[in-house]
Amino acid sequence: MSQDKIRNFCIIAHIDHGKSTLADRLLEHTGTVSTREMKNQLLDDLELERERGITIKAKAVTMDYKHRDGQQYELNLIDTPGHVDFHYEVSRSLACCEGALLVVDAFQGIEAQTMANTYAALDQNLQIIPVINKIDLQHHRADEVAEEIVQVLGVEPESILRCSAKTGLGIPELLDAIITRLPPPKGDLSGPPQAMVFDSHYDDYRGVITYVRMTQGEINKGQKIRFLRVGQNHDVLELGHFRPQRVSTNKLSAGQVGYLICNIKSLTEVDTGDTVSIPGDHAAPPLPGYKKPKRMVYCGLYPSDGQEFSELRDSLIKLQINDPSFEFEPESSDALGFGFRCGFLGLLHMEIIQQRLEQEANLDLVQTAPNVTYEILLRSGEVIEIHKPQDVPDQGEIAEFRQPIVRCNFLVPEEYVGTIMKLCQERRGVQAGQEYLGGRMLVTYDLPLAEVIYDLHDKLKSSTRGYGTMDYELIGYQPASLARVDILVNGNRVDALSIICNRDDAERRGRVVAKKLKDEISRHMFEIAVQAAIGGKIVARETVKALRKNVTAKCYGGDISRKKKLWAKQREGKKRMKSVGNVDIPQKAFMAVLDTGDK
Amino acid sequence: MDSRTSNKVKCELSQVLGPGGTRPVWKHDSKSVYVHIPFCAQRCGYCNFALIADRADLVESFLEALARELQWRLGTEHPPRSIETLFLGGGTPTFLSLAQAERLVTLLRKYFVWDAQAPNHEWSVEANPNDLTSEAVAHWSELGVTRFSLGVQSFRAAKLQLLERTHRALDIQRACDLVRQHGRQLSLDLIFAVGDETLAEWESDLRAAIDCCPQHLSTYQLTYEKGTQFWNRLQRGLLNEADQDHALRLYQRTREMLLADGFEHYEVSNFCRPGFRSRHNCVYWSGRPYWAFGPGAAGYIDGCRYVNHSSTTTYIKRMALGESPVVELDNDGDEMRAREYFVFGMRMLEGVDLQVFADETGQNWECLFGDQLRHDLEIGYFCRNNHRIQLTPTGLYISDTLWPNYLSSS
Repeated sequence: MSQDKIRNFCIIAHIDHGKSTLADRLLEHTGTVSTREMKNQLLDDLELERERGITIKAKAVTMDYKHRDGQQYELNLIDTPGHVDFHYEVSRSLACCEGALLVVDAFQGIEAQTMANTYAALDQNLQIIPVINKIDLQHHRADEVAEEIVQVLGVEPESILRCSAKTGLGIPELLDAIITRLPPPKGDLSGPPQAMVFDSHYDDYRGVITYVRMTQGEINKGQKIRFLRVGQNHDVLELGHFRPQRVSTNKLSAGQVGYLICNIKSLTEVDTGDTVSIPGDHAAPPLPGYKKPKRMVYCGLYPSDGQEFSELRDSLIKLQINDPSFEFEPESSDALGFGFRCGFLGLLHMEIIQQRLEQEANLDLVQTAPNVTYEILLRSGEVIEIHKPQDVPDQGEIAEFRQPIVRCNFLVPEEYVGTIMKLCQERRGVQAGQEYLGGRMLVTYDLPLAEVIYDLHDKLKSSTRGYGTMDYELIGYQPASLARVDILVNGNRVDALSIICNRDDAERRGRVVAKKLKDEISRHMFEIAVQAAIGGKIVARETVKALRKNVTAKCYGGDISRKKKLWAKQREGKKRMKSVGNVDIPQKAFMAVLDTGDK
Repeated sequence: MDSRTSNKVKCELSQVLGPGGTRPVWKHDSKSVYVHIPFCAQRCGYCNFALIADRADLVESFLEALARELQWRLGTEHPPRSIETLFLGGGTPTFLSLAQAERLVTLLRKYFVWDAQAPNHEWSVEANPNDLTSEAVAHWSELGVTRFSLGVQSFRAAKLQLLERTHRALDIQRACDLVRQHGRQLSLDLIFAVGDETLAEWESDLRAAIDCCPQHLSTYQLTYEKGTQFWNRLQRGLLNEADQDHALRLYQRTREMLLADGFEHYEVSNFCRPGFRSRHNCVYWSGRPYWAFGPGAAGYIDGCRYVNHSSTTTYIKRMALGESPVVELDNDGDEMRAREYFVFGMRMLEGVDLQVFADETGQNWECLFGDQLRHDLEIGYFCRNNHRIQLTPTGLYISDTLWPNYLSSS
């Protein structure tokens, strides 16, 4: 296949705007998958992705297509995730493409996050084809959406395609545009082989399957290759394309996308972002790797059963291999024992990892409330990073307490601008801009990340009746007046319940958390005091009264089965709790500290 | 208790470990029968029992269904089984007409006879005070009932009204007189912690009950069960649940008053004059088998617990179609049965004798829950009397909190 017959592209779209359906339609239309074989949304094969209807990991598929000019083309679609947490994966996909389809819902219009990804694609000099999807919808407003696209991207109105991925309408025109409007890859076919590793996964029978985009030269079956960064040599046992199942060929050459199987036994030996070339002095230079992902949110993950610590560690290692964007390190808590402090790209990412651990590894976890990373300038002049509240030093040692600030873009219908401004001001935001965008407003605020991650997205959705969208990026750290609030249960500080919040708000938060905890902790045989303290000063106290009477009145023939089951269930429930001193604290209580007390 | 004494207890307790009986007690032949009569004139707001209100028209088909269930469970070939206790519960068995009652008894006699070896059989019937006319008491007594259990709940008009009961204190006293005149045993059920009931009000109920001279008294704290009107009213804030401290005070007062009057407190909610325990109910708590028939009825036969469908109409339909009435069937292992033996046995205030436990279950208590048992002895929830483990008052009040630990291994 000569390079000018190859097109590499990805699809940028907001969740639910129809990216996966469009991908399915392309597969079908090019005959890559027959209609019969077509499961809905074929590319989302991870169970969890299917469950949530979102794509998490990048995937690739090769399609052969006979164009109306009579020529055979090779189209490589590289799938991208569609959630704000997964910017990192998006940038990996973009680096392997020459073009991108920007898919916009004909009813919803452009969303804040689509814009962010589109700008990222433009930064990488990708050719963009705007596509308005779902024009089969009865009340679509494709004309207005087209106007928005023109305003945002500055493209010609005629360049915008319209289609319905659901019915197949406009798909041939889209394929035509992919061939005529996207540039073919440009790579020196005769140079030493050079390829970008953009993903990998483990196959029980074949070992590691490495996903590559060839940028120069060619790789042949049987050839010896070298992973430049990892520094290891391997023989290529098999190579080929995903169609979407693996189909082997004899070589991959510059511009192509495919896979390599090299009898690699562990995913740790393959590094996403690495460059594949040949051993020796004639190797191609390494490609610039990906920008390392920035962990925005941290939380503690502990096995409910302390015995499962090493199982949890093994599972985390396994997950991290497939998802290098999350990190973890062992930590211990007085309250929770041994576990891990884990860093995530965002809250959704955190939830997904936790679910995968519980589902795929069958582990019961206790998760502490998420927090962001803070910076502290000590009086000694040293700057330290704080990943968990219990690491905050004494007030006396702190010269400056800094928190991460994000620039947050909200795209909302005009009538909700006031609502957004109120939301942001309550969260100590500083307005950074406002722009009119064809019937909608782009409102920009600089906000503390801590105020954004917990519930701002939910609040935005509920206060704009689902119409508002948002996106954010880290812009740096700024000094702030912050304090650590500690929680004491029967006089013992529970390290995993400490929070960092604005000093002016600290007392109120302390009261809210203490009250919430009082409701979460069930009555024990003795009285339990729940207190909140700031720097040793108690600011709130709640009491969980002692259990006085708990005995079933009626217990005859029919009650026995019922009671037996109930008590067995209570026993199981207790296993999910953590004991501090001799107080059982349910898992839910560790999330109670997120309650900000506003309605 | 220091560790030395605790070890001593461990050794002493370990010595009582018996070799285990040849046949666990749940494998014995059932000597007890429960029949559920699912009819009431109306459903009271707190009640979540299997029953159907105001459907006298269904009684005939219910009796036919019951006949089918008896045949289905017991077969036609087998000679009548000898039993020692029979309990007609409900619902309201006295909702049946006298003719229907007679048909029911004739039906049961086809399958069961009183055990000639056992000197005193017990036949209880639950009754609504209003239904106990002198004809009714005479008729049921003639049929062979030895014990009437009256759903009294209270003697106070306001409380009875809140509980949606239609009888008055006078009706209760009249019914009690009739039962006594026929020389039958009398048991009364009372409910406490209803609404804002004060200690004095509850004492007046207890006093009135004692004055009726029953041999047996059951006192139940009102519980709010899902699916009842009371539950919904509680959720909407129209009813207040008594707080734990107050409920405990009422319960403690119950014990004080009844013990002072010579009653024996023999199970969490049950009191009796010496020698007048409910033999039938004791079967439930001592791990022994029992047959159960009728909608929602739960039996324990050959170590297997079963529960019938609780809808009366579904029950009738299933029996008419020759289908099984069973909706739940638990066949746990002997280890679980032994755990249950202990947990439900401990509801009896005389407790569980560990030697007897070993003999009757064939299981080793030390392996099942030895550590937990020592822990609860040390804390003082249990006390020990030779080989017998009993709840202390403190343990009794919070005993539901203890049982999860005994029903599964740590």
